Amino acid sequence: MKKKKLLKIAVILAAAGLLIGGGVGLYMFFMPHRDVQKSPTDFALTSSELVAEYLNDFEQSNQKYLSQDGNSKILEVTGTVAGISEDYNGQKVVLLKDPGQVAGVSCTFMHETNSNATALNIGQTVTIKGVIRSGVFYDPDLEMHLNAVIEKSDVIF
Amino acid sequence: MKTTKILLTALLTIAISMTAFSQTGDRLVSSKAHIKFFSTTPAEDIEANNYTSTSTINTSNGNVVFSVPMQGFEFPKALMQRHFNQANFLDTKQFPNARFVGKIANLDQVDFSTNGTYNAQVEGEMTIKGVTKPIRENGTITISGNSVEINSKFNITLADYGIEFVKGKPASNIAKTVEVTFIGEYQKQ
Repeated sequence: MKKKKLLKIAVILAAAGLLIGGGVGLYMFFMPHRDVQKSPTDFALTSSELVAEYLNDFEQSNQKYLSQDGNSKILEVTGTVAGISEDYNGQKVVLLKDPGQVAGVSCTFMHETNSNATALNIGQTVTIKGVIRSGVFYDPDLEMHLNAVIEKSDVIF
Repeated sequence: MKTTKILLTALLTIAISMTAFSQTGDRLVSSKAHIKFFSTTPAEDIEANNYTSTSTINTSNGNVVFSVPMQGFEFPKALMQRHFNQANFLDTKQFPNARFVGKIANLDQVDFSTNGTYNAQVEGEMTIKGVTKPIRENGTITISGNSVEINSKFNITLADYGIEFVKGKPASNIAKTVEVTFIGEYQKQ
């Protein structure tokens, strides 16, 4: 009688373990991408500040802004709209670059936020939120400064 | 005599400034590019897309350069993307940009001033995860008015760049050689 009870408990425990394990596995497998716009902002700064920080110390800036797992820091960048274009995925790309700066911040929007990018005007000052993908540096082979890149962007009103 | 001298100096100045201008005009810049990784194994197909690269072509000496922000690769599954960025795979925090520096080897067969599609052989050095390897690949260059488009498809052996999996899921699900598709659009300035 006691043995049967123990067996019952063991079976229940095993089943629960399988369910939890399987659940975690399935969750990991189907884990959704981080929703950048709904996640809290890590740093709010101007495009010129970000450019200056990177040009001052590239390595240290990467340590500060990039994450090992690719879910890097979420920024709110304020700057002057210097250009609006579109990438091969049909996403709008807004370049924030203040007059007189060697580089700026390239902000890739998403299909669902594209209309907010299209509504911007060149010369306008705006704040854009997105996740940083890479920083600013001078590439001697490209013979130019590379802009910082943020993606999953939207305008902060 | 003096007027001739002045005239010559003036002509020379004009000639020099014109070459200087034409040289800056020879460099085409693109920030519109698409790079796709495709890995296929019996276990699964994995595809990742990047739309954030910057590239230049110099039409007079054939130099081709591109810089790829590695964290800009997007995978259909969040977990794959996380693995891709981690230290044992691409280590994108340590090596945020991959790059290619090379030349169009058959530049004499590409006429940037005439519309058309040209076959191009590009050779140079690819740097991924801090490891530089020589590569030589084929592609096409399409010229249409002010727009120049480069297309190329080639294979990369991951182990060449120190990316190796000997056991577990990555070893069975990620191909040893991945196919890379590159398309970039450049505007004549």
